[in-house]
Parts: sequence; C-alpha cells; structure tokens
Amino acid sequence: MENNNVSIPKTSTALAALFRADIATMVSNRRSVIITLVVPIMILISWKDIAQKLGGAYALSTAIGIGLMSIGLMGYSLAIARDRDKGIFQRLRVAPLPSWAIMVSRIAIQLAMISILNLAIFIVGYQVDKVTLTGSGYVAAFFVSFLGGAVYLSMGQLIVGLVKNPETVNATVRLVYFLFIMIGMFGELGLLGNYVKEGIHWTPYGSVKLMIAASMNPATWNKDATTALLLSLGYIVVFAGIGINKFRWSPK
Amino acid sequence: MTNLEYITHPFFAIVFVIILQHRTLNKKTNKMAFEQDKYILKVEGLAVNYGAVEAVKNVGFDVLQGEIFGLLGPNGAGKTSTLSAIEGLVKFKTGSIVLNGFDVLQQPLQAKASMGVQLQSTSFQAELNVTQILQLFSGIYGVPLSVDGVKTVLKEINLEDAGQKKFSQLSGGQQQRLSLVIATIHNPRLVLLDEPTTGLDPQSRRQLWERIEAIKARGHAVLLTTHSMEEAEAVCDRIAIIDHGRVIAIDTPQGMIDKHRDDPEVVAVSRRGKITLEDVFIGLTGKAVRD
Repeated sequence: MENNNVSIPKTSTALAALFRADIATMVSNRRSVIITLVVPIMILISWKDIAQKLGGAYALSTAIGIGLMSIGLMGYSLAIARDRDKGIFQRLRVAPLPSWAIMVSRIAIQLAMISILNLAIFIVGYQVDKVTLTGSGYVAAFFVSFLGGAVYLSMGQLIVGLVKNPETVNATVRLVYFLFIMIGMFGELGLLGNYVKEGIHWTPYGSVKLMIAASMNPATWNKDATTALLLSLGYIVVFAGIGINKFRWSPK
Repeated sequence: MTNLEYITHPFFAIVFVIILQHRTLNKKTNKMAFEQDKYILKVEGLAVNYGAVEAVKNVGFDVLQGEIFGLLGPNGAGKTSTLSAIEGLVKFKTGSIVLNGFDVLQQPLQAKASMGVQLQSTSFQAELNVTQILQLFSGIYGVPLSVDGVKTVLKEINLEDAGQKKFSQLSGGQQQRLSLVIATIHNPRLVLLDEPTTGLDPQSRRQLWERIEAIKARGHAVLLTTHSMEEAEAVCDRIAIIDHGRVIAIDTPQGMIDKHRDDPEVVAVSRRGKITLEDVFIGLTGKAVRD
C-alpha cells in the first residue's frame, strides 16, 4: 500500500515541548522542590560541629547524598508512579515521538534539580560551616554528584519497574529512604557497630557518599574511592537494567 | 541490420525489459494508490493476548476515507484492545494494521503522525493549565502554537476563559472538547475516539456529535468505540459489532437492522415491537450482563 505524505515532528521539537511542560510542573510543585532541598540543608546547618570535627568534605558529601536520595527516590519515582497511574504516559505514547524522549525529559529535570542541590549545599556549606573546596574540588564534586544521582535515579526506576501500584511505590520509597538515612548515617558513625560501619561503605548510600567526598579533594583520591565509583556504576547498570526491563507504561 | 536484428539486439532487449517493468510497476502503484485512496485503515487477522487471555481474535475491518466507523461491543468484548493495538499501546500477537499506508509495526512514528487519539480516560499533568497542555501537545505534534494561537483554538471550542484553568477544573463537556481539539491539532487523517461521550449530558453529547461530524466534513475518517446505540445510529456511517474478541457483524446501522430484524434472538429481545439497533445488538451478543 502506498504511503500518503505525513510529516513526523522533529524529536528535538517534541523534547523541547516536553521539557517546557516538565519545568512548568516542577515550578508548580515548588513546595516539594523546597522540601527536597530543606532536609540536606538542615542537616548541614545542624552538623556545624561535626563538619569541624570530621571535615567539610564529610558534611557536604552527606548532605549531597541525602539530597540525591530525595531526588531519585521521592522526586523521580513518585512522579513516574503517579503519572503512570493517571494515564499521562499513555496519552504521550500515542503521539509520534519515541518513548525514550518521555523519560529523557523527566531525567533532564532531575539533573537540573541535582545542579540546584549542589549549588545550594556549596553555598550553605560556605556560609554556615565555612567549608571551602579547591576549584577542582568543586568541579569534580559537581560532576561526580551526577553519577551519585544516577545511582538513586536508577534505584527509583527499579522500584517503579517492580511495583505498579502508586501507593505501594510511595510506601516503598519512604521505607528505603528512611532505612538508608538511619542505617547509613548512624552506621557510618559507628553507632550500629563495626560490622555495619565497614559494610555501609559498599552499599549504594556509602559508595555514593564516599565517591562524592573523595571527589571534593581530588588530590587524595584513592583505591577505595575508585572501588566506590566502580560499585556505583555497577549499581546503576543493575538497577536501571532491571528497572527498565520490568517497567510498564500502564498500571494494568 | 534487419528489423529482426534490431529487436534481438541486447540494447533494445534491455530497453524493452525496462519499459515492461516500468509499466508493471505503474500498474501496481496505481492499484495501491486506489486502495490507499479507498482505505485509511486496514486491520487484518488481529489477535491480542494478555498472558493466557485472548482479548482479540482474528479481527479484521477497514475504515474508509471520510467515514465515521463505530466499534460496538459489550464490556470486555475487545474494543479498547483493538483500538490500543492500532494506537501502538499494546503489542499484538498476529495480524497486520496499516494506517494511511503505514504499517504500525514497521513505521510507528508515521502511523502515529497520521492519527489523532482521544483515550477512554484522558488525563493530563495535573499541574499544567489548559494553555500549557495545548502548547505541550502542539509542540509534540510539530505544530507549535503561540499564545495568540492558543487563544484562537480555545475560542473555537468555547473555552476562551479557561486558558489558566487546570484540566481537573473543567466540566466533563469542556474536558472532552479540549481532548478532541488536542486529538485533531495536527490535522490527522484518522481520529480514534474511545467512548467519547461517556458521562456527558445530552447537550454536551449532541455538541460532541456535531464536532465529530465536522471532522468528517473536513475529509478525515473517525473510528470510535461506544456503548450508545443512539450514538452509533446518529453519527456512524458503518458499524462493527465485536464480541468475545471477534467481529460478528459489519454493516451500516440501518443495514444491520434490516439484515437481522427477523432473527429469532433479535425478535425475542425486542421491547416495543419495532426493531432497534439495540435489539439487534443484544440479539447478537446475548442478554447476559458483562463485567
């Protein structure tokens, strides 16, 4: 059968439209954006003494790690679960644009959030705790935090891939968030024993934090930091692989 | 050279073969173009499975250009699954779907660019207002609208004051009008409407029928699913009744009544002596309530 002429819109035009809509959604949801930033900033402010005792990199990397967790688990996965449940993805999927474009736009928004988080943490860290890094430290930490963000985004993808009900997704991400903060933070300080303290470094929480902390002082980057970086890449591949493979655009 | 030598010369033989091939190709292309002109959508041997459940079994039908075609069936008959397969939302097990000359599996983007879709339960991002929703979809379909362009579109559907409202703040009729205008924003060859008038009051339903007929008047085809026999009779040029995943009848609404008016099953369910499309529908699909 012969084709009738039809013009397929450029993917770049469609992506720009999606991105504009996702920014409008983010601006409209500014309360949740503020909450995402408030928790790590509060930790940074309340940890003034710890920053002096354990070092600026420790305090900044903890705050950034918790912020990344909020973005990946709370921001990304809850929005995906909600939009899937409401049929928003199905409406977009009947349009002439590749399915990946829908997700690229969503991830781009989260990357923008990571940038805002980094800037906020660096500014508050300097203003409140007088933490300063070298120029290369700021740049390296900025980029490594994207890799850390990818770990939590892929974990969010894993959750929405395995769990279809938005209420269950909500409960799951809150539980994971709570467990990571409690076990991660307290375990790292040795409050849960040496076994947990050692093991925590190789969990997603620990490896992301270790990698970001090491990147803040590139001159002291060591074997543990490299291992944490490789582990993070491994987590991304496994979580995203399963999460994308199991993901369904419709809850039915 | 003699005449025979000219004809048998390799050069002329090659030219002859090329001319012959060209003529055959033209004939073929003309035939394809004829089919293309006739049908905007051709569904053949369609089967859709959800795990072990066979939702659609060997469904086939055509939608002609400029035609309003209705898919009727009880709950769970396979109407939405058929539509979802055409829209590219579900993978079908066997069969073929060609839309505007594009195979929906081989050329999904071209097929999707040729159709406009209004889903059964349309939902847009809750945070976006009507203007932002229109700008989003006009951008996605490659026909970006300026603020003035949006105002013009909203005026056409009597929503000129609703530009800053959220979708959830619109009434059912307003939501349907907005969904329909989004489905047709790129001037598609075929518009797919999944139960478009469900939940609308009579005034809104009539208005929507007029808008559907206006789509047809512009030369576009419409494929809609409905539970309303009144709607099928009022707007559809042809209808197909689908049940248990199979097409059991295709005809014009009146043709279907005429064809089945004497069927014992149809006569048995008739309520007031006069055979209606609903009598034919229940006669063909049975009286049992479907969930």
